[in-house]
Amino acid sequence: MTAMLASSNPLNHVVQHVWGEPIKLADSGVFSTFTLMSNQIFMMVLAAFLLIFFVIRAGRRRRGNSGMDAMVPAGFGNFIETICVYLRDEVAKPALGEHTDRFIKYIWSVFFFIFTCNLLGLMPFDAVAYFVTGMPAKPFHLGGTATANIWVTGTLALCTLLMMVFNGLRLGGTAYLAHFCPGPLLMAPLLVPVEIIGTIAKIFALTVRLFANMMAGHILLAVLIGFATSAFAVGMVTGVGVTIPVILGSVAINFLELFVAALQAFIFTFLTTLFIGMSVNVHHHDDHDEHGHHEEGVAHAH
Amino acid sequence: MQNMMRITKNWMMTAAFLATASQALASDSGEAPNPFAGDLGNAVWTLVIFLIVVVLLGKFLWGPILNGLQSRETFITNALRDADEASKKAQAQLAEYNEKLDQARAEATAIVEEGRRDAEVTKRTIQDEARSEADKMIERAKREIGIARDSAVRELCDLGAKMATDAATKIVGRELSAGDHERLIRESIDEITARSASRN
Repeated sequence: MTAMLASSNPLNHVVQHVWGEPIKLADSGVFSTFTLMSNQIFMMVLAAFLLIFFVIRAGRRRRGNSGMDAMVPAGFGNFIETICVYLRDEVAKPALGEHTDRFIKYIWSVFFFIFTCNLLGLMPFDAVAYFVTGMPAKPFHLGGTATANIWVTGTLALCTLLMMVFNGLRLGGTAYLAHFCPGPLLMAPLLVPVEIIGTIAKIFALTVRLFANMMAGHILLAVLIGFATSAFAVGMVTGVGVTIPVILGSVAINFLELFVAALQAFIFTFLTTLFIGMSVNVHHHDDHDEHGHHEEGVAHAH
Repeated sequence: MQNMMRITKNWMMTAAFLATASQALASDSGEAPNPFAGDLGNAVWTLVIFLIVVVLLGKFLWGPILNGLQSRETFITNALRDADEASKKAQAQLAEYNEKLDQARAEATAIVEEGRRDAEVTKRTIQDEARSEADKMIERAKREIGIARDSAVRELCDLGAKMATDAATKIVGRELSAGDHERLIRESIDEITARSASRN
């Protein structure tokens, strides 16, 4: 029984499963291994494949080739363009102002990449493969949420940091550097580290928010289904009795997860936009404060 | 009864399905998994894949979409501006037409007024002329009547005088001299004149 419970640890269904052996870089430490391929990396590749080969085609569809029709999207293109227009007009323009169109392609990419990864994470590839083949998906675990990996979300957040710093220096120049010391110069030894820590904290929060939200939902589902496993270990009647509410609950949680997948992709995109906006519009101190509070509000809300 | 059997069969199948599913999900074993599992490989893969996505989507999808949005914005802005201009132009034209219409109406009123005035003047002239003509005719008629009357009176006086003379001659039996004639005639004329004057 103990072995059974240990083996059905819900985390097992959420964490990364490496395909093959990772390359060993060092004996110990965070950077000691290098995973060549895993279920989560595969899902990321799949997300990129879908985006590149299907979403591009769908997004470019227009009602006609000339005149007014060439400006009107058709079919799935409407869905993509609606999101694009919303992100551009309601998210990017208030934060980035004149720089909106300079960064909007990156912002759209962030949203659609994370959204696709989040959605693919909800697909039960592993279970489907099992039911089709009748064999456990080993050694290759299929499926998995790429954004439930802190290294993935960390890298994406790092990209945001690079965008902030690089564009802050490029467009803000000395004003961006001066932004790190908002008070008198004497206070610099105190303020500069605080500002740097603040920037890193933002990126860290960005990393953990997406990672934790995606991880938590899947753990919840795994725990729920774990109840069914344990109940079947006791007996068939108990198993069925427990499993029915578990299934209903799982369906409900899956709907919630669909919402969370979109919401977290939006929040990551929204905050990335705000952070870039704060970096490139450093002369707007009022905006900075406003955005800062706004960001804080959003962070608390979720 | 058949329903009961069908329900039981369905339940059995569901149970078997769930048992298999839970077995599949419980198939992992080994050491406790690390929720932060991952390494540099994940980061590098993420970076590479994400950059490829950013570059390719940026070139083949976001570029056209952004161009489309911008051209649509320009199109709409231009259309709105054109519509605004057209509206202003139409309003200006309407004002111009209204002004012209007012002018035309005023001119028409003036023309009608002038016509009426002319007609009035003409009428009055014609009336005056007619009246004056009539007055003249009346005057002339009166004058002619006066002349005729005077002539008739004179003839009557002459005739009366002649008849009186003849009668007197017959009565008196003697011829009056030319001087008597003259005196008698004058007296008769004066008497007739005085009588007709007193009658008038």
